[in-house]
Amino acid sequence: MNRCIERHRNILDFALSSLLRRKGKNLSLLSVYTLIVFIIASIVFFTQALKREAALVLDGAPDLVVQRMVAGRHDPIPIAYRERIAAIRGVSEVRPRFWGYYYEAVTGANFTLVASNDGQPSVKSVFIGSGVARNSSLTEGDFLPLRDVKGTPVLFTVGKVFPSASELVAADLIQMREDDFRTLFDFPTGRATDLTVSIRNKGEVKTIAAKIAQQFPDTRPILKSEMLRTYDSVFDWRGGMVIVILSVAVLSFIIFAWDKATGLSAEERKEIGILKSIGWETGDVLLMKSFEGVVISLTAYLAGVSLAYAHVFFFSASLFEHTLKGWSVLYPQFRLAPVVDPYLFCVLFFLTVGPYIVATIVPSWLAATVDPDAAMRS
Amino acid sequence: MILHPAILALLLGSLLISLMMLYAGWYGARILNAWDLRSGSELQLELEKRTYLISTLVSYALAFELISLFLFIFTADRLHPLFTGAMCAAGTLNANGYGYPLLLLKMANFLLAGVWLMVNHVDNRGHDYPLIRIKYTMLLAIAPLSLYEIYYLYRYFSGLHADVITSCCGSLFSLERPGIAGDLASLPSTPMLIVFYTVIAATLFSGAYYYREGRGGYLFSALGCAAFVTGIASIVSFISLYIYELPTHHCPFDILQKEYGYIGYPLYASLFGAGVAALSVGVLTPFRTRGSMAQIIPAFTRRLTAIALILYLLFTLIASCEIVFSSFRMGA
Amino acid sequence: MARRDGGPRRRHEVLTVIELIEVSKFFNAGKANQFIAVDGLSCAIGRGEVTILKGPSGSGKTTLLTLIGCMARPTSGRILLHGIGKECLAGCAVGDTVEITSLPERFLTSIRRSAFGFIFQHFNLVRGITVLENVMLPAYPTGESLHEVRRRALDLLETFSISRHAGARIEQLSGGEMQRVAIARALINDPVMIIADEPTAHLDSKLSIEFMEIVAGLKTAGKSVLIASHDPIVYDAALADAVIEMRDGRLVGGGTRP
Repeated sequence: MNRCIERHRNILDFALSSLLRRKGKNLSLLSVYTLIVFIIASIVFFTQALKREAALVLDGAPDLVVQRMVAGRHDPIPIAYRERIAAIRGVSEVRPRFWGYYYEAVTGANFTLVASNDGQPSVKSVFIGSGVARNSSLTEGDFLPLRDVKGTPVLFTVGKVFPSASELVAADLIQMREDDFRTLFDFPTGRATDLTVSIRNKGEVKTIAAKIAQQFPDTRPILKSEMLRTYDSVFDWRGGMVIVILSVAVLSFIIFAWDKATGLSAEERKEIGILKSIGWETGDVLLMKSFEGVVISLTAYLAGVSLAYAHVFFFSASLFEHTLKGWSVLYPQFRLAPVVDPYLFCVLFFLTVGPYIVATIVPSWLAATVDPDAAMRS
Repeated sequence: MILHPAILALLLGSLLISLMMLYAGWYGARILNAWDLRSGSELQLELEKRTYLISTLVSYALAFELISLFLFIFTADRLHPLFTGAMCAAGTLNANGYGYPLLLLKMANFLLAGVWLMVNHVDNRGHDYPLIRIKYTMLLAIAPLSLYEIYYLYRYFSGLHADVITSCCGSLFSLERPGIAGDLASLPSTPMLIVFYTVIAATLFSGAYYYREGRGGYLFSALGCAAFVTGIASIVSFISLYIYELPTHHCPFDILQKEYGYIGYPLYASLFGAGVAALSVGVLTPFRTRGSMAQIIPAFTRRLTAIALILYLLFTLIASCEIVFSSFRMGA
Repeated sequence: MARRDGGPRRRHEVLTVIELIEVSKFFNAGKANQFIAVDGLSCAIGRGEVTILKGPSGSGKTTLLTLIGCMARPTSGRILLHGIGKECLAGCAVGDTVEITSLPERFLTSIRRSAFGFIFQHFNLVRGITVLENVMLPAYPTGESLHEVRRRALDLLETFSISRHAGARIEQLSGGEMQRVAIARALINDPVMIIADEPTAHLDSKLSIEFMEIVAGLKTAGKSVLIASHDPIVYDAALADAVIEMRDGRLVGGGTRP
């Protein structure tokens, strides 16, 4: 047993020295490999972090949201439904929500408008998110003109800018008083955008949703869990798409690696011939070549993963955000919370190290099966 | 569903394993065709070189299969929130008819690759390659299973549809998906406990006897395999209850999680290791009279027996500790 | 095969260490460029003797060396080893004799590693690593602790008076010094037999004579030596106990030596 370990150690020793002796070739291989790992790891980390952020944000979402559908499109819901819904057993509270989207032609940005008296905005005053402030270069006290349904500009004063810590939820948010909201949009009286329902016992959410759908066939109830799942799926799907697109890059890398591995220089070939002639058998040379592959793989993997980690969590994935976050003029700028998940590392391993190792098995074997007596004749 | 990074990784992993096994099988077939140790012809020398490639390929396939097995279970676990009614990996696997068969297939592939490597190891130690034909015939039988695995993997994941809102007009309110069982079918706990300890005891005794006397290899191997199956059934049936301290939680996958101290790893590692060892003893014993194997196989199978015994003992110890130190009491 | 003292070889006088029976080696068999390197050759190498393989280039000397030294397998015929290598095979030797004709490569290599030391025509030292590492290299796969091996290697370098070069790269040595490193490497696993292929081809006369002195030392130490050479300094040396002459892959019978 001891001899076995010693043998492995000795051969590993030689493999390392062999790698260092051919710095040029190995360094170029290592850099490309690290780049590939870096890209894929960045995508995986980013997707994962976004999912987590979404989950955290949705944590505060209502258990159930009831929206009204007319001809398959979203329509303001009668507030009168509120009493009947609140009467369903298990419902603790039903509140109407007033919100909508506002498109600003000048900057091409979409704002989310919310009517709420929280924080007491004064008349014709708005609280805006930091994204809005950035986009339109506004600070507290500035004026924000918004057009109503007739096209008349209505002037609002910026009462407060939401702190940047709330970027993820509030970047594009504009909060105003309920009456200002109704006036601006000429919102139908007796209606709300949707109704939020709070439920005492979480296990009953599905039953209550079913009852609501039955009592009000023109509505659709949306569960918090469904929203979470949908977001999860979208992020995963997007992440997966990018990886599939990148598979071309990975494939090229594999071909490159294969080429490097099969293209033994004359020097290397001679060296292996010498090893075999002085008493190394095919198994020993194969082990050495495998160690070389493993060392390169592990180094590239660790370097790539570490760089990706830094890229995503310290530099906010500046290289990829556009693909993965979606299409929008207003981007929330936020720091993603680091996620260390052994599961992810396993996934990355298969996506990057696996193909490389498989690609180099046959070239390693070809190199190792050089005839020893060929060395005698060289 | 297929575009999830982890699923892509699993598919890629399975593809790589298949590639390696089929390549190995192909060359195995050529060796079966033309092998002649006595001849010093160039073809023979070429074939001997190929055997190294085949061993390497199967070794890597085994390693990948093991990692892939864990990755599969983790992915199933991570995906469970996407399916209504699924509480852990068990629920995800139940989502369509390919889930559990796929798991079994992966386990089988791992065990078979392990046994093949044992046979290969023994054959290489003999200077006359006495098991070469048997070995490569076995390989020809095992290799297509990896193709089967990819097929099942693809069918499983492409048949998985997350319960998500897919259109802006649509809604879900998450009706219970038919066919998801929250609780795994399991055998009654107390009788299972008795069966488990009995089988383990029998295995230990027959193994010790074989170790000393060198006879009864088949019996030990059969008992060892029975112990493996019993072990898995026991984990589901009663061991998990003590670990989770709940009378209804039978899931065999949650014990791999952090909340339970990752206790699942040593349990499964020892069980699978012992399974491979015990099965190998049974596979190798018929050949102990062939040529140079007479000197090699008996010593090797004895060593395998010792390993199997130690691992089964370890498994029993861990399980027993969990049972004794748990605050759960059956029938309480 | 002829003995030095001119008389016919008497078998019971010399213990045979390696025996070849009707050995042939073909390359590219069956193809247009088929080449027969060794053709139906039978001979015996004596234990503790210095045997010279003599013949022009292309006579098959090198191929014969590879066959004897467990580096290649014969296409036909049998090769037997007496008294060496049996510890490498799990109890399948008949008495003291091991037949290596159909042994798989790993056994062949295992025997070669422990029983034979090779000295190549072009030295075949690995560039880019030190002299000491070069000498230690054959012992890496045996699983011996490197500490032990290093000690032996340093002793060997001392024996051949090149310890001061232990940390130097091969590229910095002269021809004679490289020769000594090659010899030290051949001895690292304490082999029974040393096999040298044209050892003096790149040496001047002075160094060639020095080489033969080293061979004398090896013989005194009880090792068998087999040298392939067409250098008169080698095959005419008084040291040689037996000379095997080859041409076109066959033995040239007779030809006693003065």
